[in-house]
Amino acid sequence: MNEVCFKNIDKENPASLATYEAHGGYKVWRKILNGEMTPDEIIAELKTSGLRGRGGAGFPTGLKWSFMPRNQEGQKYVVCNSDEGEPGTCHDRDILRYNPHSVIEGMAIAGFVMNASVGYNYIRGEFMEPYYRFEEGLKDAYEAGLLGKNLKGGSVSFDLYTHLGAGAYICGEETALLESLEGKKGQPRFKPPFPANVGLYGKPTTINNTETFASVPEILSRGGQWFADLGVENSGGTKCFSVTGNVKKPANFEVPMGTPFSKLLELAGGLKEGRKLKAVIPGGSSTPILTADTAMQMTMDYDSIANAGSMLGAGSVIVMDDTTCMVKTLTRLAHFYYDESCGQCTPCREGTGWLYRMLQRILDGNGKKEDLDLLLSVGEKIMGNTICALGDAAATPVESFIKHFREEFEYYIEHGRSMVEVEHNLIEEVASV
Amino acid sequence: MSEIEIEIDGQLLSANQGDSIITIADREGIEVPRFCYHKKLSVAANCRMCLVDIEGVPKAQPACSTPAASGMKIHTKNDKAKFAQKAVMEFLLINHPLDCPICDQGGECELQDVAMEYGSDVSKFNEGKRIVPDKGIGALIQTDMTRCIHCTRCVRFGAEVAGIVEMGGTGRGEGVKIEPFLTEGIQSELSGNMIDVCPVGALTSKPFRYEARTWQMNAVQSVARHDLVGSNIFTQSYRGKVKRVVARDNDSVNETWISDRDRFSYEGLNHESRSLKPKVKKNGEWLEVDWQEALAFAIEGIKNNAERPEQLGVLASKNASLEEYYLMQKLARSFGTENIDFRLDHANLSPGSSMDSSITLSEIESVDHALILSSYTRLEQPMINHRIRKAVINGATVNTINSKKFDFNFKTKIDLLTAPQALLPALQSILKSLYLKTKADLPEQLSKVNSSDEHDKIANDLIASENGVIVLGEHLKSNPSNSVIISTVSQIAQISNSKIANLTLSGNAHSAEKVGFIPTNQGMNAASMLTESCKAFLLMDVDSQYDFFNPKLAMDLFNKDDVFVVSLTSFEDQSTLLSADVILPMASFYETSGTHINFDGIAQSFSASVKSPGDSKPGWKIIKVMADLLELEGFSFVDSSQVAEEALLSSKVQTQINGSIAESFEDSDITTLWQYAPYAIDNVTRRAKALQESNIGKINSAYIAKSTAKKLSLSQDDLYLGVPVSISDDVAEDCVFVHTSQARRV
Repeated sequence: MNEVCFKNIDKENPASLATYEAHGGYKVWRKILNGEMTPDEIIAELKTSGLRGRGGAGFPTGLKWSFMPRNQEGQKYVVCNSDEGEPGTCHDRDILRYNPHSVIEGMAIAGFVMNASVGYNYIRGEFMEPYYRFEEGLKDAYEAGLLGKNLKGGSVSFDLYTHLGAGAYICGEETALLESLEGKKGQPRFKPPFPANVGLYGKPTTINNTETFASVPEILSRGGQWFADLGVENSGGTKCFSVTGNVKKPANFEVPMGTPFSKLLELAGGLKEGRKLKAVIPGGSSTPILTADTAMQMTMDYDSIANAGSMLGAGSVIVMDDTTCMVKTLTRLAHFYYDESCGQCTPCREGTGWLYRMLQRILDGNGKKEDLDLLLSVGEKIMGNTICALGDAAATPVESFIKHFREEFEYYIEHGRSMVEVEHNLIEEVASV
Repeated sequence: MSEIEIEIDGQLLSANQGDSIITIADREGIEVPRFCYHKKLSVAANCRMCLVDIEGVPKAQPACSTPAASGMKIHTKNDKAKFAQKAVMEFLLINHPLDCPICDQGGECELQDVAMEYGSDVSKFNEGKRIVPDKGIGALIQTDMTRCIHCTRCVRFGAEVAGIVEMGGTGRGEGVKIEPFLTEGIQSELSGNMIDVCPVGALTSKPFRYEARTWQMNAVQSVARHDLVGSNIFTQSYRGKVKRVVARDNDSVNETWISDRDRFSYEGLNHESRSLKPKVKKNGEWLEVDWQEALAFAIEGIKNNAERPEQLGVLASKNASLEEYYLMQKLARSFGTENIDFRLDHANLSPGSSMDSSITLSEIESVDHALILSSYTRLEQPMINHRIRKAVINGATVNTINSKKFDFNFKTKIDLLTAPQALLPALQSILKSLYLKTKADLPEQLSKVNSSDEHDKIANDLIASENGVIVLGEHLKSNPSNSVIISTVSQIAQISNSKIANLTLSGNAHSAEKVGFIPTNQGMNAASMLTESCKAFLLMDVDSQYDFFNPKLAMDLFNKDDVFVVSLTSFEDQSTLLSADVILPMASFYETSGTHINFDGIAQSFSASVKSPGDSKPGWKIIKVMADLLELEGFSFVDSSQVAEEALLSSKVQTQINGSIAESFEDSDITTLWQYAPYAIDNVTRRAKALQESNIGKINSAYIAKSTAKKLSLSQDDLYLGVPVSISDDVAEDCVFVHTSQARRV
């Protein structure tokens, strides 16, 4: 556990430059500055490592970096997406708090590979402490001559800037993030063109997630094969999971890919006494919910979770026990997407509000029988028709919640109250007898 | 660009690599529904209505933003495409108020049209609908933002075409509101186009509100006549009155846009001061009479007062039609007078104050440099300014020499503040600089001209440009040195190899010039007619209070008992009643057939959209009958097209460029440049209510530099010639730039 991104977490002053360097930090970057590594070698190593984008889409990082037009004339950019906003996720925050230099080094390496001399780290607006920690890290790195222009008198330059967002979930979408970074309203751009060709200020731009960048130095330091071997096939290395919900010890855990879910649950202290596992959202609120049985059989890696019918996503594991009302939970999620839709394109702007209003009406006891099919049909009409993935993210939970817990919704519509409360009251009654 | 083959709905098509699917479909006549896409605006891909199915691509893709690639097989109407399109339609309708019966857009609404095909007849939406409060954006555009479907066409039009970022989407999600960032209203000379681009009834014409339903109106193709462009329009009339004007596509003239002036001026036609009946003044009393009597009175008056034919002066505004100019000058010349002029507001009319343009409208947008002289093109010639703006967006640079720094909607490089009296020296300095740079022999008279760095820089830019243009604007009319300035500009253009865009004469001035509505050597020009011995005048569409360079001089003369004035006019108010002896009510814009000749020299004919009110008659008919009564030969025309045919055969009276006469300024050190605000330039716009109430219509300031104000002992908000003083650093010293709708005073 805690072998890559959180490897210094139990050391004294884990975020400091001294601690980072004492444990092998900036070794790779110094090698690069000494001219001992080429971009092609780095890309090859990343490909071997099997590192996949940790932001949620899981695109192989080595492949992504190899697509960049590194020899194209003009300015290019590296952007780190630290706008960690997916409900249930908080591990990037801890990386920034406890290991900021790994992100700095990772971004600098990316800059070298992409031939980009400027980087931006876009940090979520609410992350004040991580922001200051990262800024402090930057200051130290500059002072140590690790960042700046013509480093070590050579040809490599890398300037890194921090940008604090303003609290919009949509700015975690990479093109909306770029718009926001440019000072515009955070709204996704349509694609093509992709950021690799037309990104920040219209220039080729590589965008990766915090955890992805943080993993890069360690991979290059210890070898791609070492990293790949930590995990399982198709899912190399370790992954940080935020385990939240009805567990005794909600926390972040960096574990090897392929770790059984049951093990992760155990690490988080398991369920509270007397509770039964009801459902798990494995990858953040945008990924389909899984029932207890399915979840208990899966391992935490891309393929296994996909086989179970969901996605690894951002590694945000939301655990629900048998006291959870699915109608209420889904309504809360729908409200989130309704509130966070940027409003740019029609299906999401209008559809998220429609979904939320219907669910709220059901929750208020005014549901109609045909509402469930209508919810599914609205979700289906949003799905795939929007500019960015927020529309899909809003529709996915609706589809999966109703698929797995339809009878609970039907009960609510029929009785105007939750089936769970009834069950639970019964349990409590029995217990008190 | 390489040619590729694609397939749309089974049709094999060749297209350019990278063309969007929607442009190919449009070209081939394949219908793809859309709301946010507009051919003249950037692609937004936000409405999602144009989703189509591309084989091998899992999700439906927007046709507007997806570039065609070789071998692509696209389906616009299969189940997958239809499902996506109908889904979007349903989403668009859930929050749209179905208030079509009381919506002005009803009947010409894109949402309504597309809903007929893609919408369902039953709504599944059982929740409350969204309501959006209206902030109001001024006198011209009515907002009903509850109807807005957030396509952002208006936002993009503002940012990309009008050059104003005043509308935008605030808020997010369902709460996104398209609204101005400020509440002072949209300040653009092109704002009305937002109405045309709005696919729904969110933005509609304010003066038109609830006036008529679109299907009740009679649409006629016409041409706008307030500027040199001759924008193509449709007039839409109901029960004999023009109720609305909208743009008509013509890529080489006005593309798809028209100025607010062309769009909203029609209100002037329905003004209460319309002249409806012929009238004669007998013993100081106005009497309504029939046409026969009025014409007889007019003819007799002219014959009696103008004892010799050359005592008759014939004057017209710059807004008459080609036919009217032609017949009027023919009448005058047949009668025996050469006193013919339409340049009423020129400070100097010595021979030579005319110069041809050497560039076309569409060529302007591809220049790499423009030098703008004496012009606020943005307000004076909005559509030409739009072409300059396009050039700037493509990388052209612009320098300006004006009395005031104007708020152009593009970036300018050097804005040289130059008072009217300093313009000629400035141009001579530029010319000298050009001579020195091109190593041409410096003419003697330039050797003593003072040089300056700024002028040198401007000369540099002219030389460096490969495809530059010098834009000469209408402020030059008020400059007594205009004739010699024009010849200097012509030399500058020649030596720097620049084109010329001459915008000094606006309206339908090209028609007037074409048919020779100016005096030959034997005749008097507009200025001399007022000071010399004319005893009778024929005025056509002239408002003496506004139209002359020195209105007081004109009014005083026309008021004299021994001066007989026949006024062919569409409007009668105090100034007409004071100055005229006979009023012959004339049809105004859109009420008569005619021809406009535009900047490119294109003669655009139009038919009458509505009948003129009351007993008023088309100008060309009045002139023809007068000619008959005067027993003049050659007026046997049956309709106006015969007149146009003959008029177009006439060869333009050539005026030689002759800059040898240097006119001196009057002794005063400080000059006044009186420029009518854009909605006060002619009889019709001055009476258009909504235009007057708009932000631009309210322009009324005498701009003075601090030092000049001191010399004149004026302070902020004092009145200068009746106009409130605005002290500004953006004005050249020793001049006052009066920008107002008030009648000119000297």
